[in-house]
Amino acid sequence: MFLKFFYTLKDVGIPVSPTSFLTLQKALDQGLINSLDDFYTCARAVLVKSERYFDLYDQVFAHHFEGVPLPEDAGFEIDDMARAMLDEWLKNPKTMADALGVDEEKLNRMSPDELIEYFKKRLKDQDGRHDGGSKWIGTGGTSPVGHSGYHPGGMRVGGESRNKSAVKVANERRYKDYSTKGPLTQAKIGEALKRLRNMRPAGPKDVINVDETIRETMKNAGEIELVFDRAMKDRLKVILAIDNGGWSMDPYIHVVQTLFDYARSQFKEVKTYFFHNTIYDYLWEDSSRYKKPKNIMEFSRLDPETRLVIVGDASMAPYELMAHDGSIHITERSGRPSIEQLKFLQDTFAHSVWLNPVSESMWGYTHTIMAISKIFPMYELSLDGLENAVTKLMEKA
Amino acid sequence: MTQTPDAQFQGAQKYVLDPELASIVNISMKLEMPLLLKGEPGTGKTMLAHAIAETLSMPLIILNVKSSMKLVEALYQYDTLTRLNDSRFGDSTRDVSNIDDYIKMGKIGQAFCADERAVLLIDEIDKADTDFQDDMLDVLDQMQFDIIETDKTITARNRPVIIITSNAKKDLSDPFLGRCNFHHIAFPEPKMMRKIIRVHFPKIDNSLAENAISAFYAMRDIDGIEKKPATRELINWIRALNADPDFRAKDLVKGAMPFLGVLFKKSPDYERAKNLTGRRKLF
Repeated sequence: MFLKFFYTLKDVGIPVSPTSFLTLQKALDQGLINSLDDFYTCARAVLVKSERYFDLYDQVFAHHFEGVPLPEDAGFEIDDMARAMLDEWLKNPKTMADALGVDEEKLNRMSPDELIEYFKKRLKDQDGRHDGGSKWIGTGGTSPVGHSGYHPGGMRVGGESRNKSAVKVANERRYKDYSTKGPLTQAKIGEALKRLRNMRPAGPKDVINVDETIRETMKNAGEIELVFDRAMKDRLKVILAIDNGGWSMDPYIHVVQTLFDYARSQFKEVKTYFFHNTIYDYLWEDSSRYKKPKNIMEFSRLDPETRLVIVGDASMAPYELMAHDGSIHITERSGRPSIEQLKFLQDTFAHSVWLNPVSESMWGYTHTIMAISKIFPMYELSLDGLENAVTKLMEKA
Repeated sequence: MTQTPDAQFQGAQKYVLDPELASIVNISMKLEMPLLLKGEPGTGKTMLAHAIAETLSMPLIILNVKSSMKLVEALYQYDTLTRLNDSRFGDSTRDVSNIDDYIKMGKIGQAFCADERAVLLIDEIDKADTDFQDDMLDVLDQMQFDIIETDKTITARNRPVIIITSNAKKDLSDPFLGRCNFHHIAFPEPKMMRKIIRVHFPKIDNSLAENAISAFYAMRDIDGIEKKPATRELINWIRALNADPDFRAKDLVKGAMPFLGVLFKKSPDYERAKNLTGRRKLF
């Protein structure tokens, strides 16, 4: 039963397993599911194991049981729309600016990347709240980017009470907020990173060492002698700096995201920063690189035992790396060229590596890769490269 | 099983149950699968287990997962030290040559050995590493584990109702997820929130509840807040407002925000909220 539903779920990219499908059959068999509403909640609890897929599930459910058309490529909805908006913008900046209710000048100053980011943000904004009419691109008709042309289900905004049919609930797509990332399961990266650990005894001596206690007790002719140890704790601090700007990194985003996800799960203390192409005066804590800058000079105050991992393709115009005013940001004009800053970071953190998603065989063709690999030990962002990088990071200085 | 198989969970005294969640809980109980709950802190993940235990009058056993925890600790503990002590002094009633006397059950062990069906809450599973999680699910799947020291197998007498909570943004491992049902508790909507407040404060003044709730949702909407206040904070806040004899409900409409510290626990958040409310007062 519901085989087609199951396979549609699989087709849109929700990781559903046959076992869970059998569990669902079991539930049906036992008569636990008596209505479509029951089926909606039940099938979701059994089949879908992450809130990231709740939205997709809603879409498939609405499609299967009510024939609401399924978006072509459900996962990339927002990106598609943002890109469509960019096209529209290129054709007719004025209309677009008016539709968005922003200054045309302001948009003009943005790079294509920034524009896309900005549009994406607006699209997401729209989805979360839909209060007034003034702020947003309407679905009505005046705007060049109305929803009906691209994604019929995309822009529906719910807001009614909870007691309604499952199809309606599904159509409402309450879980859209959570579906921003795609699936990331590359357990092997996790395996490689697991070795990045530094267990050290720390804290008060409050753990009893049974073996030692017995040995000491025997030495003491049976008079009990307790031996205490400090508990082992992972004391490793990691800073992960990721190049997330520019088209040049786009093909590698998937790998980098995986790495990032694992880093977060693996280390107690991992700080992630972002940069574009190379590092000048600041690293950013937010991925959009404008809210929370952090001056890299402040890093000198951090524990020098911190492991610094930089991820980037290290490919850029040579002047961006070498010139005093290489940064594209006007605020970053301390007069120190990027290459000096990189040297500074390498001096500060004795254990640092640069992971490059570009295949190692291609490195020789890019000047800046060669220059940076002279500063940081550079490894390819592959399993082998990662293993080597981890070994390097754990070396005794 | 002492519990009738048809026991249904329908919400408890202090817990307002979403009908959707209720059917998920009931299904998981019938299918005998653990239920994994995720959601913002303070949306009542832990409370759910308490509520289930209360309504179905089952004992509740809580395993608070810690990052350094090993699976064995959750199953049982072999108390070497007591045994050593007894062998030295020999003044206890325990039999030193019988290792069983020195095996203490951990939380999972207790749930397995309980005389009646119990609710086992495994709180904040994401704190432990993935090996722990996978191994634990094996145990919960088989409903049995071995005690190495005595070479005995402990099998669950009654399959406990298992609720697992996780705060993690990231997903747990695939084998883990494959073995449990999943639900994400979304943040309650104002309508739901009103019900929750009613349950917690049956005698609350209407205007106070309304004003507090609308002020609360406005506060949640302030941009750039790192840790948004959740249900727990709102309940504490209303409690604080109630306790203050000088406080009047209509002050909230005017923009006065007493006890902000109850809602915002991070100092940048607190400052931001304070600045905003301060400005509103000028009008």
